[in-house]
Amino acid sequence: MDLWHLLFTLALICANDSLSAGDDLLQWPQISKCRSPEMETFSCFWTAGNLYNLTVPRILQLLYKKSNEEDWKECPDYVTSGQNSCYFNASYTSVWTPYCVQLVSKNEVYDKKCFSVDEIVLPDPPVHLNWTLLNTSQTGIHGDIQLKPRLSTMVPLYSLKTARDYEIRIRSRQRTSEKFGEFSEILYVSFSQLGIGCDHCTEEVEFPWFLVLVFGVCGLAVTVISVMLSKQPRLKMLIFPPVPVPKIKGIDPDLLKKGKLDEVNSILACHDNYKTQLYSDDLWVEFIELDIEDPDEKNRASDTDRLLSEDHLKSHSSLGAKDDDSGRASCCEPDIPETDFSASDTCDATSDSDQFKKAAEKEDLLCLDRQDNDESLPSLANTDLQHQHRNTQSENSHPWAPFGNSVESPHLSVHAQVSNQNSLASTDFYAQVSDITPAGRVVLSPGQKSKLGRAQREGCTEQNFTMDNTYFCEADVKKCIVVTSHEENEPHVQEQGYNEDAYFTTESLTTTVANLGASTAAPPSSEMPVADYTSIHIVQSPQGLVLNATALPVPEKEFNVSCGYVSTDQLNKIMP
Amino acid sequence: MAAAPARAAGRADAVAALALLWLLVCAPGNAGCHPLTVADLFDRVIRHSGRIHSLSTALYAELEKHFPPRDNELGRPARKCHTSGMLTPNGKEYAQKIPREELTHVILKLLQAWKEPLSHFNQHIEHHQELPDDSLSKAKQISNMVHELKTGVEKVTEKARFFLQVELLFLFPIQMQSMGIISNSLNGMASSEGTGLSISNEANMMSDSDFIHCFRRDSNKVQSYLKILKCRIMPENSC
Repeated sequence: MDLWHLLFTLALICANDSLSAGDDLLQWPQISKCRSPEMETFSCFWTAGNLYNLTVPRILQLLYKKSNEEDWKECPDYVTSGQNSCYFNASYTSVWTPYCVQLVSKNEVYDKKCFSVDEIVLPDPPVHLNWTLLNTSQTGIHGDIQLKPRLSTMVPLYSLKTARDYEIRIRSRQRTSEKFGEFSEILYVSFSQLGIGCDHCTEEVEFPWFLVLVFGVCGLAVTVISVMLSKQPRLKMLIFPPVPVPKIKGIDPDLLKKGKLDEVNSILACHDNYKTQLYSDDLWVEFIELDIEDPDEKNRASDTDRLLSEDHLKSHSSLGAKDDDSGRASCCEPDIPETDFSASDTCDATSDSDQFKKAAEKEDLLCLDRQDNDESLPSLANTDLQHQHRNTQSENSHPWAPFGNSVESPHLSVHAQVSNQNSLASTDFYAQVSDITPAGRVVLSPGQKSKLGRAQREGCTEQNFTMDNTYFCEADVKKCIVVTSHEENEPHVQEQGYNEDAYFTTESLTTTVANLGASTAAPPSSEMPVADYTSIHIVQSPQGLVLNATALPVPEKEFNVSCGYVSTDQLNKIMP
Repeated sequence: MAAAPARAAGRADAVAALALLWLLVCAPGNAGCHPLTVADLFDRVIRHSGRIHSLSTALYAELEKHFPPRDNELGRPARKCHTSGMLTPNGKEYAQKIPREELTHVILKLLQAWKEPLSHFNQHIEHHQELPDDSLSKAKQISNMVHELKTGVEKVTEKARFFLQVELLFLFPIQMQSMGIISNSLNGMASSEGTGLSISNEANMMSDSDFIHCFRRDSNKVQSYLKILKCRIMPENSC
């Protein structure tokens, strides 16, 4: 027996350790709950556990104690609340007094609980439910009822469907507590008992929204597909109209594709910023032809003169090809296409007109008068070119200032010289490279050297024009320099800093100037007709280029004829 | 008891007398004079005390969360409230047995006992930064509501006393002495305010959650007593 006792004790200890393991192990007796239904009595319930099966049936006792007492008392009523329960009636209940109960068996305490009665209130489920009809809706579909338990407040239920039957059950809780009591028994509510059932409401047909949606989508898809696949273009156009392509006013890309440039030109001519196209081949031809057709005029004045004399006076207006004197663009006009020709913004037309009017007043731009009569001419004629050039140099630190902003009177002289040069030489704007100096510089000659003479020297000295924002023809200036200058003028010329592409680059001017000096010293041996353009014939000499005169090539369309200003790029294009 | 049928008849007369008196005092022509019955006033007061109880329950739950209690179940009974020394009926039976005046007295004494400690508690927990603002607002609300409840109960009992006096006047001339009892008990309330101050010293010694636990219990007491009082003054089916 001792061994059995020992084993049993060990088993109990093991079970005690693994008390919470699972149901298969031993379960100790424990107090499950204590509740008070109305705060006047209360009951405690416990579970016996499964110790009974293993050992001698034990007798569990429930002891209780109030907080202000010392002794544990036994439960007064084990019966009223059922098995494994203890019922405390009103005489044993002190509501706001803390209690402690414990479950014991032979001095062995299994469980303990402390509480206060007002904390364990759980109302009983309502009994004897009954219901009454409050009212019904106008259509008779809905109705309100009121539930009446025997010992509780009345509970209304609204908006019940009279066509249906209901099963209702109630549970209650104390207002200050969160726990609900047990559910009551089920109450069956049927409106037909009172004879107010809705007969016509029994069939609740809901609109078949789903079917409508499905069939609608299918039909729509079939319709769309049939329309798209149909051969009827009109129907197709009606339902699926073509999206209009945006059209840009002005240029039709087809024109560009097919190469109808004339039309494109005409279109673009409407825009002011387009003018290069207007200078077509015809203008050049026309321009050249003018030269030929009027030999008399040619003797009198070259095209340059014409340009300088006449066109300057009316240059401002003739900024485009629309002018009758097409081809004779204003000398004031830079090579850069202007955005607004008609506005005569370029080169400050008024000032130009004023200046050149003055020029006309004073002297012929061509410096023709001065050949004979001008006072300053003798200086030019007598002094050597060097001196002259020095004059120009001294007087003018910026010989090419016309191309820039600041212009001084010496420029005018240069201009006059150039114009003078033009009067004598058929070469208008460009010089021919006649030789290459050992220094590697290209020597340009004005062409028909025979025409070079005193007149040339007399050249355009002092054209005392007030030069404000006036431009000189490069050619004119160049000619003057050709005439007068025999020195190396490069340092002065070189101080360009002019960014305009419309003008000859430094090199070109340099070459021009350089040639001036050389030309007098070594008159060009060639009497060959001077072409306006030269082409590179040999590019081998380390000393530079040998340019050959070539026939006048047809200028490209983008060539800007204005005053003969040619950018380097254009020059490169011209030369084959 | 022979007094029972007499009492029933007296109540009917009392109601008539009360109605007559109210007509004199509160004629329908008077603006802002709403003829609130004593029953309505009692309902209001009971609802007010119910709200106080709900608030204190919630506040106690929050405090339990922040300050976990001692892991000693037996410690609960040791929780000593400063109002534990007060003799209060601890059941419906006892509350129905004691005179109405005494019940009223107990209610007012309880409310008075909690006025000061609650204001001290408010100042105390404002320094608790770990508590959410919700808890602090609840405590402040409770403090205000207790004050309002006390005022309301006084008014109601005034009106009820009037009602009772009228009843006693008609039915029980002997019991006119009870008017003195009533007034004496109510006057005694003023003296008890002095004892309330001493009680509040004990309240300062408690922990916060114990303090609120005690108040929660006492607010439940007040609510129950008021319900019983109402049923005793104006018997209804629901009592």
